[in-house]
Amino acid sequence: MYKKILVATMGEYMDDLIENTLNILNDKDAEVIFIYVVETSVPFLTPKKVKEMMISELKKRGEEILSHMEKAFKSSQESGIKFKTIMTEGKPAVEIVKTAADENVDVIVMGTGKSIVDKHLLGSVSEKVVHSAPCTILLVRTVN
Amino acid sequence: MIILLEIIALIAVLVVSLIIVIKSADLFVDNLVEIGGALGISEIILGVTASAIGTSLPEFGSALIASLSGNTDIGVGCVIGSNIWNIAGILGISATVAGFIGTNKEGLNRDWFMTLGTGLILIFFMLFGDINWIAAVIMIFAYCIYLWFLIKAQRKHGKNNSNNDSKEENHENNKKNKKSAINKKSISYIILGLAGLIIGCRLLVYSGVELAQIAGIPEMIMGLFTLAIGTSIPELVVTLSSAMKGLHDLSIGTILGSNTFNILIGIGVPALILSVPVEPLSLTLDAPVMIGVTVLLMLLIRVGGMKINRVAGIILMLTYISYAIVRIFIFG
Repeated sequence: MYKKILVATMGEYMDDLIENTLNILNDKDAEVIFIYVVETSVPFLTPKKVKEMMISELKKRGEEILSHMEKAFKSSQESGIKFKTIMTEGKPAVEIVKTAADENVDVIVMGTGKSIVDKHLLGSVSEKVVHSAPCTILLVRTVN
Repeated sequence: MIILLEIIALIAVLVVSLIIVIKSADLFVDNLVEIGGALGISEIILGVTASAIGTSLPEFGSALIASLSGNTDIGVGCVIGSNIWNIAGILGISATVAGFIGTNKEGLNRDWFMTLGTGLILIFFMLFGDINWIAAVIMIFAYCIYLWFLIKAQRKHGKNNSNNDSKEENHENNKKNKKSAINKKSISYIILGLAGLIIGCRLLVYSGVELAQIAGIPEMIMGLFTLAIGTSIPELVVTLSSAMKGLHDLSIGTILGSNTFNILIGIGVPALILSVPVEPLSLTLDAPVMIGVTVLLMLLIRVGGMKINRVAGIILMLTYISYAIVRIFIFG
């Protein structure tokens, strides 16, 4: 049914995301894209060197997450489904929507994310993506 | 009416001078690192030093300028107040907003014991009355040893990482470490940053002292709260944003590193130039509260399973509010 799937991750609930992605995969010609967005925005008055350090740490973490996702995904399925990873910089919701449009994906898989308190305090990437996604979205329940 | 206008003008000077101080500190450290790199100083040493002093230069500059201009109360108040605000206020706010702040056992033990130790060293010297040049030399020496430990830890971390890196990356790093010509622009920016720091800190202390006099507030209170919170803005933005991004080591490391720097250098260097007098209430209330919140932080981390969770964050914030109320309205 879905030929191209975009899986957005920030490093949490990776097993749940992989499991749900595998559940909607029923075409051997499908392609799965994992995306990690390095959030580069920092508040005004953040020292430049600290900002550089933050971005470098986030990139390192992104590489680890994508590599973990790739290994976990490949070990979970036997067919020759195409797989690729994308690491990009910017605002997570904007980059996920932009990549979904550029790659012309059929569905975005992502976690519901945070609790109601966290959502109010930190904002929610999934909520922003829901409002502007160019395709279907599968929100995996990740809140206990 | 004239007094009101004067207060508004002084608040405007305070805000503008704070921005000047923070931006100048950034410019200064940034270009110091550039020149250090050009002189062949290792990136690890530069990185550790830059992150250790980067966010704390405003407190240091204000404490130094305040002491040199004869307002020692405001200087000592700014340092002790910053340390209490850093732990109870900033870590409290960050843990509450981000949900939790995780800790790394090795880094936490090293930085927390150093923060507690420096607080106790300060109280010890305060017991003798004025903090003189002998205490200053010991404090500065202690900071150099701490910096050496940080560099050693970073080298170990770097070695572990480099085992996984490709030869190509190592070649790039070697190229970066080689000496290169010093950029004249960097020297100009260092001078500009230093000038901005001096002028900004002088304006900051001036507006703080004037506001205290007009409003009839003791200078110590001005230092403990207004200047302490103002000069800790870099710590607040770094700690909060790194906690929100999940960079927990950076979040807690910034606070504990800053507290160590504030005491050993923020009080040590001014005391090297002239003796820093100790107000009795600082010894009996402010410094013990500083030690108290440091101990409370560790207790909350232990209870929370090596994390500062949201409840712990709220407890820290309530502790700060309680201290502020008691200090301003009962002992102010």
